[in-house]
Amino acid sequence: MTSDGPSAAPTPVQASRILEREARFRQPTLYLRLALTAAFALAPVLLPSFQLMDLMLKIALFATLVASYDVVIGYTGIVSFGHAMFFGFGAYAVGLSLGKFGAPTYGYLALAFALGVLVSAALALVIGAFSLRVKALFFAMITLAFAEYALILAVQLSHLTGGEDGISPKLPGVFAVSFTAGKVLGVDVNGRVVTYYVVLVVCLALFLTMSRFVHSPLGRTLQAIRDNEQRAEALGYRTFIFQLISSSFGSVVAAVLGGCYAMWVRYVNPESALSIQIMLDVLLMVIIGGMGTLYGGIIGAAVLLTARTLLPDLRAVGTLMFPGSEILQRLTERWLLYFGILFILVVFFFPKGVIGTVREVLSRRNAAR
Amino acid sequence: MKIALPTLLLGLLLPLAFIEPRVYLTLTVAGLAMGMLIFLVASGLTLIFGLMDVLNFAHGALFSWGAYIGFSVVLALNQRLGWAESPSVGLNALLLLLAILAAMLVAAGLGMVLERVIVRPVYGKHMFQILITLGATIVMEELIRIVWGPNDQVVPIPLTFQGSWDIADVIVLRFPIVAIVLGVAVYLGILLLLKLTRVGLIVRAGVENGEMVQVMGHNIYRYFTAVFAAGSALAALGGLMWAVFSQSVRPAMGGEHLIFAFIVVIIGGLGSVTGSVIGALMVGLAYNYVAFLVPKAAIGVNMAIMVLILLLRPTGLFGAGK
Repeated sequence: MTSDGPSAAPTPVQASRILEREARFRQPTLYLRLALTAAFALAPVLLPSFQLMDLMLKIALFATLVASYDVVIGYTGIVSFGHAMFFGFGAYAVGLSLGKFGAPTYGYLALAFALGVLVSAALALVIGAFSLRVKALFFAMITLAFAEYALILAVQLSHLTGGEDGISPKLPGVFAVSFTAGKVLGVDVNGRVVTYYVVLVVCLALFLTMSRFVHSPLGRTLQAIRDNEQRAEALGYRTFIFQLISSSFGSVVAAVLGGCYAMWVRYVNPESALSIQIMLDVLLMVIIGGMGTLYGGIIGAAVLLTARTLLPDLRAVGTLMFPGSEILQRLTERWLLYFGILFILVVFFFPKGVIGTVREVLSRRNAAR
Repeated sequence: MKIALPTLLLGLLLPLAFIEPRVYLTLTVAGLAMGMLIFLVASGLTLIFGLMDVLNFAHGALFSWGAYIGFSVVLALNQRLGWAESPSVGLNALLLLLAILAAMLVAAGLGMVLERVIVRPVYGKHMFQILITLGATIVMEELIRIVWGPNDQVVPIPLTFQGSWDIADVIVLRFPIVAIVLGVAVYLGILLLLKLTRVGLIVRAGVENGEMVQVMGHNIYRYFTAVFAAGSALAALGGLMWAVFSQSVRPAMGGEHLIFAFIVVIIGGLGSVTGSVIGALMVGLAYNYVAFLVPKAAIGVNMAIMVLILLLRPTGLFGAGK
């Protein structure tokens, strides 16, 4: 940057970038990120159990999905309830292209992702075009209506989507269940493991892309709009266009992740891909982790998915402890109730989430020093 | 709105070209009833938004609570005293009235608690309002599942409101007529309350400029609580009427109607009561006509109307665009 051109004084943004770049290897967060990546990469080697692999990859997938949602809600400040719908589009694209209409070949797999991305981008643009024009609040209501409609369609058009039963796509070549290629480092290399690593790499790549996106000048503009829309508009930014770009970008990432999800679980049905529950999960994850942090998704996804995995055991304890009372049994069964209470409490008392709070504490300590 | 009424009339009469007149009348009555029931939900939503600038996602849960409270009252009185099965019109009407009263009272109380505890700390922060009322929705729906169980239940309908009248070979169901009358009464009631009373004056002023009302020495927060409670009661009324209309209650019924109400409120314009009446009637009628002509397209018709209106008028038919 400084080598070309005369040595003009750097702008504040450039100055902060230069400072950041100099301190890059001294920051603990870089090593934390590397360690996290290594943990995800080594999990199948160190602890070869399918349950753990499944949990790890779902955490990676949802962490990236939450980050893509964070781009929309945390960095741009618009609430969307259609994010799970775009996730579902990606999943259904893979399911339909490989399972229902095409064949398990790489060509159809590529086509599925292309279709999922294209449809999501087009729909996100259309929804945004007529709902973001007036106020961002409309966006929340309209995306909710569209998400519900997509769910109804997926259930009702059963000749196309398989209805409630869903679709089980078969994957081509190295992703297929039957694929094996001996042992590497004591781990069976089969279709599952290959899928794990491919999806993990996709998640990582998407995460880096999003990190680049929110730290770009465009991302800074988005944050300006979030903080003060009128002011951003007064400065000459067409906020509508920027909000549109942001929501479409988030939706496209969600569609890719949906495709990856379908590749991993090899099954798509309305409840697992399109239901409002996924949207609520993602919302809670982003709030627990911290809005506008991108990395909060990792914590949110880890907490919620681990809790969800352990839940059946909890329920068993509940039935053991209160065998008689029906109301008490219902109380232990309705875990969604606690989910809702947690939701309210987190929004009230912990609105910055884990990462946001940690950052606040750290910056306060730095300022005191 | 100058174009709204002619468009509505055109939309009302156009299906006559494709449908036999008698069937058309039956469908129209059903559509008007459905529209009025949706209006009951949407009116509360739009009032709350207009005055308080709060988008209440918990409105659907209040709808379900109203339905379940009313259902319990009807069930209890029918089992103990047999009021629903008795042929007496008076007892039947009294039963419905008591159910409505109970549902509205409980919902108003719930609404007051919600406003005080959950909504008040987040005034002015749209995102947190949405999130926190969403959390409240989850909790309230789950409470319904705990108290009344997770399954659908059949609502006993008072005899007077069952069946239909046969007027000149046109079959007119009874309960939809009750629903239409009630809807019109509520609409006129809201309008008169807003136009003629002092409270209405202050609420209308608050919609225009809340700060100014406060400067004039009125505690606007008290009106916020009152309007929130009234809106909740209207949601509960809508829920109970819908429960009787569809003869069943389900814990998830509120969520579906919340989406209906959203669509209606967007069509009519956020904050406008008249807008939500027109929007609700459009949605109710269009749904019934389309469901008769092209059953497969019925679920999409509301969305289509909403998209069309938003393209023509981004703030909705009667929206102020604030």
